[in-house]
Amino acid sequence: MTVGLAMIAGGFAAGVFGSLLGLGGGILIVPLVTLGFGLPLREAVGVSLVSVIATSGASAGVYLGRHVANLRLGMSLELFTATGALAGALVAFAVPDRVLAGLFAALLLYVALSMIRTLRSGTAADPNATMPAPGDRSPERLRPDDPPAEWSSRPAVSTVADRLSGPGYRVRNLPLGIAGSLFAGVISALLGIGGGIVKVPVMHLGMGVPMRVATATSNLMIGITATSSAIIYFLRGGIDAYVAGPTVLGVFVGATVGSRSAHRVDARLLRVLFVAVLLYTAWQMIGRALA
Amino acid sequence: MRATAARGAGDHGRGAERDLERAVGRILMTATYVGVGLIAAGAILMVLEGVSPLDPAPSLSPADAAAALVALRPEGPLAVGLVVLIASPTLRVVSSLVGYLEARERRMALVSLAILAVIAASVVLATGQAA
Repeated sequence: MTVGLAMIAGGFAAGVFGSLLGLGGGILIVPLVTLGFGLPLREAVGVSLVSVIATSGASAGVYLGRHVANLRLGMSLELFTATGALAGALVAFAVPDRVLAGLFAALLLYVALSMIRTLRSGTAADPNATMPAPGDRSPERLRPDDPPAEWSSRPAVSTVADRLSGPGYRVRNLPLGIAGSLFAGVISALLGIGGGIVKVPVMHLGMGVPMRVATATSNLMIGITATSSAIIYFLRGGIDAYVAGPTVLGVFVGATVGSRSAHRVDARLLRVLFVAVLLYTAWQMIGRALA
Repeated sequence: MRATAARGAGDHGRGAERDLERAVGRILMTATYVGVGLIAAGAILMVLEGVSPLDPAPSLSPADAAAALVALRPEGPLAVGLVVLIASPTLRVVSSLVGYLEARERRMALVSLAILAVIAASVVLATGQAA
């Protein structure tokens, strides 16, 4: 009973933290389940995938209702994230636990270094870019630093990229989006994360999609990406219902609370604390990889 | 005149797209909440019955899961909730497919079908390897 409550509390903390920093909970759930409760890494990845399906489902629903997520672009790219995730999940069952721990440590270090760079440049991300609270009906607008509008309505004759564009922006460099989506799918399935750390920069910087739209569309894509690998983990007995239940519940409630309180939190202090947690967790994962 | 008509048609298309996005978003949220609700019920039953997450969860057939759900054993709502949650994004793609077929958007309907084919491949590969 105590372990169950501890798992709900741990999931809650991962959900709040992930939501406040716009990272989703995935990057924290795997260390929580493996390092905190001593379970195998592959099992933690399966539980994490279900958790990200839950949090992304609620937030993507809100984003679609507000018309911030680009459904056409998201569906076109998630065909490739899902394919990558399918391949990644099959590989995950053939890769030793130590290799996965090493890959996860590399991911944690990458995210920590990205955050340190952000802290140094003083351009902390907008906390409002986190998951919207379910039921939140406030209007969405594109950010002032989004790429300038090149057009505002679809022309009569259009290319594939034109058809995937939205009001106020035009999609470019589709091959890069496809390659990035495949890669995001593979690492999502291997490490149990949503893959937003790949998809958002690819869409925003590489494809000319406004930041808010890229975040919302990435969130939408997480569901199908995680589903195609979660099916494999679930049907092969890689998701323990007794571990997944309390964790998913905690993460879902935590992400909802976090998104509602994002504007009340000192984002810079939170990032400094998060970098410390990431570096400590990376150290623990390296130890696991070398054990 | 022609420009106004084109803009009108574009507005109509954008309006239909917004309706589809709203409907798809609502379906996704509902399925997610149902899945999380079942999982929450399972987690509460775990706490009430003193089941530890570190105990191995039983592997259930669909019939066993339904029986455990009716009997209010924790593994019932947990298993059904996990299935609903994992299926929720697929439900969103199916609803998009229906919307695109109604709007005669063949290209997006094909994309939806291709995504469903990848999901089906996951099921086939997982069950094939598990067997």
